[in-house]
Amino acid sequence: MKEEIGMGVEQYKGDMNMCCRCSCCKFIPLQQVSGYEYTYVCPSIARYEYHSYSGGGRMNIGAAALKDGFNYTDRLLDIVYNCQMCGACGVSCNYAMDMEVQEAINEFRIKCVEDGHTHPELDKVIKLLRKQGSMVPATGKRGDWAEGLDLKDATKEKVDVLYHVGCLTSYDENMHKLAKATAKILQKAGVDFGIAGEAETCCGGRAFQMGYREDFLKQAKKNMALIKKAGIKTVVTSCADGYQAFKVLYDQHRLKGNLEVLHISEYIDKLIREGKLKLKKKLDISVTYHDPCRLGRLGEPWIHWEGKKIKKYRRGTNGVYEPPRDVLKSIPGINLSEMTRIKEYAWCCGAGGGVNESNPEFAEWTALNRIDEATSTGAEAIVSACPWCEKTFNKAIEKIGSRLKVYDIVELAAKAI
Amino acid sequence: MALERDVYREFEDVVGAEYICDDPAIMPSYHGVEHAAVVLPANTAQVQAIIKLCNKHKLPFSAVSTAWTGMFSPGTIYIEMRRMNRIIEINEKNMYAVVEPYVISAQLQAELFKRGLHLNVKGAGTQCSALLRGHGHLDQSTSGDDRNHLAIEWVTPEGEIVRSGALGSVNEWFCGDGPGPSLRAILTSAVPPGVTPGVFTKAAVKLYHYPGPAKFPIQGKSPKYTLSEIPPNMMARYYSFPSVEKMWEAELKLGENEICFELMGFNVSMVAANITTCNEDEERIFKQMDKEKLGPGFFVIIAGNSAADFAFKKKALEQIISESGGQSLKSVEDPETEGILLCQCIRISASIRETFRPGGMFKSIPIMGQRDLTIKWAVGAGEAKLPLIEKGYIVDDSGGFFGWGVEQGHVGKTEIFCKFDPQDPEAEKAVEGWHKEQSERAFKERYFALLMGPVADDVAPAMSNFNVWWDKITQAFDPNGIAPQGGPLV
Repeated sequence: MKEEIGMGVEQYKGDMNMCCRCSCCKFIPLQQVSGYEYTYVCPSIARYEYHSYSGGGRMNIGAAALKDGFNYTDRLLDIVYNCQMCGACGVSCNYAMDMEVQEAINEFRIKCVEDGHTHPELDKVIKLLRKQGSMVPATGKRGDWAEGLDLKDATKEKVDVLYHVGCLTSYDENMHKLAKATAKILQKAGVDFGIAGEAETCCGGRAFQMGYREDFLKQAKKNMALIKKAGIKTVVTSCADGYQAFKVLYDQHRLKGNLEVLHISEYIDKLIREGKLKLKKKLDISVTYHDPCRLGRLGEPWIHWEGKKIKKYRRGTNGVYEPPRDVLKSIPGINLSEMTRIKEYAWCCGAGGGVNESNPEFAEWTALNRIDEATSTGAEAIVSACPWCEKTFNKAIEKIGSRLKVYDIVELAAKAI
Repeated sequence: MALERDVYREFEDVVGAEYICDDPAIMPSYHGVEHAAVVLPANTAQVQAIIKLCNKHKLPFSAVSTAWTGMFSPGTIYIEMRRMNRIIEINEKNMYAVVEPYVISAQLQAELFKRGLHLNVKGAGTQCSALLRGHGHLDQSTSGDDRNHLAIEWVTPEGEIVRSGALGSVNEWFCGDGPGPSLRAILTSAVPPGVTPGVFTKAAVKLYHYPGPAKFPIQGKSPKYTLSEIPPNMMARYYSFPSVEKMWEAELKLGENEICFELMGFNVSMVAANITTCNEDEERIFKQMDKEKLGPGFFVIIAGNSAADFAFKKKALEQIISESGGQSLKSVEDPETEGILLCQCIRISASIRETFRPGGMFKSIPIMGQRDLTIKWAVGAGEAKLPLIEKGYIVDDSGGFFGWGVEQGHVGKTEIFCKFDPQDPEAEKAVEGWHKEQSERAFKERYFALLMGPVADDVAPAMSNFNVWWDKITQAFDPNGIAPQGGPLV
C-alpha cells in the first residue's frame, strides 16, 4: 500500500499512538541547549502552556479522536489553529523516535477544514485566493514590480529558469525590493530567466499549511500546467513557502515530476561557486541568520513510502541551511553570528500555519521572542530568506522600537554586487 | 468530571481564567484521564491556595512537572507546574542550585557547565525536571536519590508551607537536614513535586565539580550529532566481561576507587540504540556488537581535572578492567561513536532511543538495592525474556538488563525491561505475564520486593508492616485524603 494522498489523519494512527509524552517536542534537541534561555522550540506550548498545545499534546488528541470520534469544541479549534505548523516538534521528536509528527498534525488540521470547522479569518484568506489567486490582497497587477526592468515573459518566451515571485513579494510594495534584488542578481549572473507576470498564481503552499488541501491542489495544478506549457525545467523562488510548495508539497502530491526547484539562496550560492557571480562590495554589518521553517527543516525533500508504516523518516536533516550562510560569508565585511536556535531547530518567525492571519498577537509574540534572541547575539541585523519572515520581524521591531534591522538575503547579495 | 461552576470560579480566582481549564478537548493530552480541571499556578502562594481549595471541597489533586509518566484518577485537580520554571539561585561557593519544578535538567546543566559545575541528571532524561529525585547515569560521581536534595519548600497536603532544613531556620538552602526541620524520609519517599504528600514548589539540589567542557563541540544535524573532537581529558568506553560476577567485581572496584565520572551498566542493545538514528540501524549494529562482546558489561566515562589526573584514572581503569578479564568494545573506541556516547550520556542521559523507539512501549522492573543481589535476580529475569524474543513479542536484546551503582557502588539501580509494540495484544499479554512472574520470583526468592503490583500485600508483613506506619504519617499530613498515593512520577 502506498501512502495515500488525501487518506488523511487515519494513516498516521500508529504514529499518534506512539507518542510517549516525553516532552522533547517542546525543546530544542537537548544537547544543543546552551543555557536557561532559548530552550523552547515550539512557540505554541511556550505561549499557551497547556500540554495540549505541544506537538505531543496534538498527537495525543489526534489518537483519542481517531479512537473516540472527532468532537470539535472551541478549545479544540483554539489548539488546532494556534500552531504555526513549523515542524520543530517533529525534528525534536525524531531525534529519538521513529514516528511521523508533522504530517499527522497537518492531516488533523486538514480534517478540521474538511469537516467544516475552519477559522473565519483563514476563510477570508482562502476566499481571496479563490478570487484573485493570491494569499494577500492584489493591489495592481502581479508583475507591476518589474516595470522598466525588461524581464522576459516566461509564458511567451523560452527561458531556462522561471523566477516565481510569490504573492507577498508581488503585491506588497514594501517587498518589491526583494523581487527587484533577485532580478538584479539573476541578470548580473547572466541567467536566462523570466517571470510569469500576471499569469503567475499562488503556489498554494500557505493554503496547505492552513488546512485547505483542495485549494492547494487547485493552485498546484495551475502552476504545473503553466510550467509544463512553458517548457520550464527549473523554478527559482525567493519565498520559503513557495520553495516548500514546489519542492516538497508538489512532489508529495505527485505533481512535481522532474522539475528542478531551487531557493534563490541556493541559486546564488551555485552561481558564486560557478564563478558567474561575484559579491565584491564590502558591507560592514554584523548579522545573524534566521532559518525559515519552510526552507530549512520543512524544505527537506519528500520521501515517498509504501506499506503500513513509513520506513525512512524525514527528520529535518536535509533542509537548506548552508547555502544561505555560505552566501553571507562570501560578502566582504559581513560578520555572521549564530543564534542559539538555528538550522533544523530554529525558532519560527511566527507567521506560518495561518497564525499571521488568525492570531496576529501570537504571531507577534513569536516574532518578538526571535527578535530578542537575535539581539542577544549583538548583531545589527537579522537576515532571513523569506518575505513572510521579513514582514513579521519588521512588524515586531516596529512595535517595540528595536534598532535591529531586517534584511532578506537577496537584498544583501544585490548590494554586494 | 466537571467541577461545579462556583467551585471552578474559586480556582479561577486564584490562577486567572487563562490558567484553568476543564475542557474535555485537552484531557487526551493529560494522560487520557478526565480530570476535574488542569490548573497552572505561577507561584507558591497560588499552589497553597489551590491545595486549600482542594481540602475545602475534598478534591484529590496531583502535581506534576513534565509528567512523562504518572498514575492519575479521574476527577483530580491536575496541578501542572509549568509556569514555575525559574532558576532561583546558583550558589557556586556552597555548591547548590535552587530551582522551581519546571526547570528542566538540560537548562540547569547548561548554566552549570559554564561555571565548571554539574548536577546529577536523572535517567529519565534532561528534558525532565531538575527538581526530580531519582537515579541517573552519573550516580557514581554525583550520588543519587534523595541525597541530592538539600532544603525544600513544601506545600503540605493541608496547604501549609513548610521549609525544611536550613531553609526553615536560617532561610538558607544549603542543608536539608538541619538546623531546622528535617523531613527527609517523608518528603523524599518518592518523587517530587507530587506523589510525596503535598507539592514541592522549590528545592535546592546539590552541585558537583565538573571537569568537562562548557559546551561540547557538536557538529552535524539531527538526528546525527557527533563531536568534532573528544574534549581533553575525557574518555568513553564500553567494557564487557566473561561473566556477571567479573563484571560486578570490576564495577565495585571502580566505584570504591572513585574512578568514573559516569558508569552506566548498559547492555549492548542500549549502546546500539543510543548511537543509531533509526530502528533498522539499531538492529544491525546490535547484532554486530552482540557478537563482539564477551558477556555482560558497562559503559564508562572518565574525566580528569588535569592531564595527570586523566592519565591516572585511565591507568587505574584499564588495570581494574584487565584484572577482571574485561575487554573494551572496539566499536566504541571509534572516536565518532565515542563522541556520540559522551555527549548523549551526559547531555541527554537515558535516551528515548533505548526505551520507546524500538517498539513504542516498554515495561520495566526497576529496583534500587544491593547491586550484587539484584544483578543475580536480573540474570534470571533476562533468561525469561528469551522465549518472548523467540516468539517475536519483544525486541531482541539478548535478554539484557542494566543498572549502575550509586557512589561507591554497593547499592544501586538494577533494571530490566521488555520493549514491545503496544498495538499487539498478544505481545502485551506476554510482557504482562513476564512482569508478574519475575516480580513474584524476586519476592519469593528473597531478592527484593516491589511495593506495587501482585506481591504488595505479602511484602508489608515481611518488612515490619511499614505500610501501617506510612499510612499513619500520610493521614496526619493529609486528613482529607486528597494527596496522591503511590506510583512513579517523572
